[in-house]
Amino acid sequence: MRIKVFAFITLFFFGILIFGLFYTQAVKYEYYKGLSERNRIRVIPLEAPRGKIYDRSGRLLVSNRIAFDVEVIFQEIKDENKTADLLSEILAVDRRGLEKKIDAARKQPFAPVKIAEDIEKEKAIRVEEISLDLPGVIVTTRPLRNYLYKNSLSHVTGYLGKISESELAKYKVYGYRMRDFVGKDGIERAFNDYLRGVDGGLQVEVDSRGRQLDILAIKEARQGRNLYLTIDIELQEFCHELLKEKTGAIVVMDPSTGAILALVSQPDFDPNAFVSPQRSKEVLRLLNDSGSFPMVNRAISGTYPPGSVFKIAVFTAALNTGKFNDAKTFSCAGSYRVGNRVFHCWKEDGHGAQNIRNGIKNSCNVFFYQLGLFLGVDEISKYAFKMGLGRPTGIDLPGEVSGLVPTPSWKRKKLRQSWFKGETANYAIGQGYLLVTPLQIVRFLAVVANGGNLLEPYVVDRIEDIKSRRAGAEDTGIRHEVLDVLKAGLGDAINAAGGTGYYARSKEVIIAGKTGTAQNPHGDSHAWFAGFAPLDDPRICVVVFIEQGGKGGLAPARSAKKIIEETKRLELL
Amino acid sequence: MHFKNFDRTLFFATLAILFIGLLTLYSASREYRSQDIIFRQVFWMIFGIAVLFVILRVDYQRIVSLSYVLYGITLLFLVMVLFSGRARGGAHRWISLGFFNLQPSELAKITLILALSSYASVRRSDVTKISFFCKAFLLAIPAFLLILIEPDLGTALLLVPVTLAMLYIAGVNIMHILGAILLGLASFPVFWHFLKGYQRQRLFVFINPNIDPLGSGYTIIQSKIAVGSGGLFGKGWLAGTQNQLNFLPERHTDFIFSVVGEEWGFIGALLLILLYALIVYRGIKIIETTPDTCGKLIATGLVTLFTLQVLINIGMTIGFLPVVGLTLPLISYGGSSLITTLLCIGLLLNIGMRRPLF
Repeated sequence: MRIKVFAFITLFFFGILIFGLFYTQAVKYEYYKGLSERNRIRVIPLEAPRGKIYDRSGRLLVSNRIAFDVEVIFQEIKDENKTADLLSEILAVDRRGLEKKIDAARKQPFAPVKIAEDIEKEKAIRVEEISLDLPGVIVTTRPLRNYLYKNSLSHVTGYLGKISESELAKYKVYGYRMRDFVGKDGIERAFNDYLRGVDGGLQVEVDSRGRQLDILAIKEARQGRNLYLTIDIELQEFCHELLKEKTGAIVVMDPSTGAILALVSQPDFDPNAFVSPQRSKEVLRLLNDSGSFPMVNRAISGTYPPGSVFKIAVFTAALNTGKFNDAKTFSCAGSYRVGNRVFHCWKEDGHGAQNIRNGIKNSCNVFFYQLGLFLGVDEISKYAFKMGLGRPTGIDLPGEVSGLVPTPSWKRKKLRQSWFKGETANYAIGQGYLLVTPLQIVRFLAVVANGGNLLEPYVVDRIEDIKSRRAGAEDTGIRHEVLDVLKAGLGDAINAAGGTGYYARSKEVIIAGKTGTAQNPHGDSHAWFAGFAPLDDPRICVVVFIEQGGKGGLAPARSAKKIIEETKRLELL
Repeated sequence: MHFKNFDRTLFFATLAILFIGLLTLYSASREYRSQDIIFRQVFWMIFGIAVLFVILRVDYQRIVSLSYVLYGITLLFLVMVLFSGRARGGAHRWISLGFFNLQPSELAKITLILALSSYASVRRSDVTKISFFCKAFLLAIPAFLLILIEPDLGTALLLVPVTLAMLYIAGVNIMHILGAILLGLASFPVFWHFLKGYQRQRLFVFINPNIDPLGSGYTIIQSKIAVGSGGLFGKGWLAGTQNQLNFLPERHTDFIFSVVGEEWGFIGALLLILLYALIVYRGIKIIETTPDTCGKLIATGLVTLFTLQVLINIGMTIGFLPVVGLTLPLISYGGSSLITTLLCIGLLLNIGMRRPLF
């Protein structure tokens, strides 16, 4: 009897087993079949390389290179010790750190876990070579942004970073995914939508290690569009070199089009650091450096008083309104009293009586105090604005600021104070509330150089496969006769005896320009030089700005001369 | 020799399963050096069948007379393995004998059955007393505990129903058995306390494999997918994607049934289970027809052991039971398991052959 019960129980369990098997294989067949298909068919995203960036003559500036990563699949590792030994030797990294990373992979024993990123090609090859002896270790590749000119182009190209949560929320509909890299500044940011390609995919049959066995379908990744810049990389590097170890900006522009030939801001950074995980400390230091702000593009985002360079605007206002003319003079005795304040000229014993052309050549403060007071603050502001100050230039780079062109009504609104006469005097020599960016100044000078057109500067000449039209220049309505006198004065400032910008005098080409020394309440004066060349047919506009650089007539003037001579050598002039 | 009573059906069912096992193993091990694996398995198979025939030649009564000695030696091995055993996956289970890695827990299953049978048949008159029942359990407890702390939870738990089944057939009071089961269930919380981390994890994963899909849940998920996607007719030999693409870990050892399920489908798996059931059925016939109490009990122990191994192993590959690390008899790769199983079958055939003729 007991044997019958025993037999019954035993065979009953076999019955349950058969039922369970039937349930799994027949009833739930479709479900498991689907899972098994998905198991072995995997879609591997093919990361589209970003578009390349070239300079004006087609020289490659930014491209993509292949980065090699090392991953481990814990389950496949036969000998943890040997794996750590060999890898730490090849990769030349601390064995203990590596061991920790391999050990961490234990948590996901069947998934590949990254243990080293962006290793050198030689190391990657060596790891590949020994991978037969080291099961579970694989080398993978991905495209990585490569900035060929590193620091020298940093503020033009900008840099990449992982997409932020808010960016992702905004751009998800355009197919952005988590962990995508997007442009965070410069061209990379402004033209991100063009530079970014269309990711492709590979439908492959894989084994459990994700190893590709057979390709079922391919959707090729489409590289982003290439960009062609107006930048001349040789000139850019030259300017970069000139500004090395200093703080400031240089912008070189074609005054007839607004094409930027060089744009440098110092201090700078290496955009490659932002795509390299090993350099994350350096990135953190760059982003948090609140002493020198290396991430700020001073050419478009830094605002400073322009100093004497601004006299050009006052000059233009005086002649263009007809309120003043060539024949009239103001006298300089070294200082000038407005109310109870005494304003000084930079030349203590005075310039004597000067006409307007000599006034600008000598950069005579007393002359411009009087001229400014004669014109009135509103007229000065009107012309400053007309010539592009106090508003963004519209350059195709992100982060541009407006600067500030003050008016009495602005002062009333903002500071709840009325405008003082003394402020007008100060304003006329480019001090006080007035704030400009170096880029605004180069465009401001281009108005003089090109005969009255306010241009929209740009660094991207064209986008591959896309036709675009540039916005036309804005006619400032400044008369040619006015500009001819101004040009002559600016030519004198460099080339005539006693001119304030004689350090910019060149034997090769006639340069015209204006120096500026802007008082800085926080330290040494800021130094400016803005000029163009050749005087009779301007082809190049330059601004050199050095934070706390002392007198504009010295270092910036010298640098500007070198830059213009370099443009001649490069046949840009 | 009484080859007249040699159970040919049982023997040929065994050979048939061995053959299916080789085919499956070949398919499962193509990723590795399959020839090497097949060669070794065939070697062990021949060795195991030789052992089977050697066992047939010895009267099982003579083996029974040595049962306590054998059990004692096994316990000694179990103690040794704790100190000098080769650790694999955190557990000390093997003793290296040079050419062969011996797994004493495999041995313990058989020697415990022998010792229990010997005890129960000698003390037959006391069978309904509680003292008989308790002493029988005391006999089993050293092996149970030693295997449990190796740790080899699966094998240790296997010993409990084997002991109970033998005592049941021996004729103990049914209330004693029920009492023991209740006591066992009541002590579960204490037992839980002594489980190692990975063992608890396995139980959690059994309840919900998706809590750790890339860790301990991975095997069970992949195994279910393999069996389920085999459908009625299977994907064909060497054509199982789960198997061939290496999604199935441990597929040539503990999870080999998922390869059968995937490549041969329900039909093939059913055939295999029916072959196992046939062996079990013939085994029960032997229990029934053996007049000698000791032989009856040994047969009961062996049949229970065999049945449980098959049920638990297949049950875990289709996710009906937690993963406990038991091999599939006659099919899983590995010498210890194969030789022990063939030895058991030899012993069973032996008992069947030596029943007196009426």
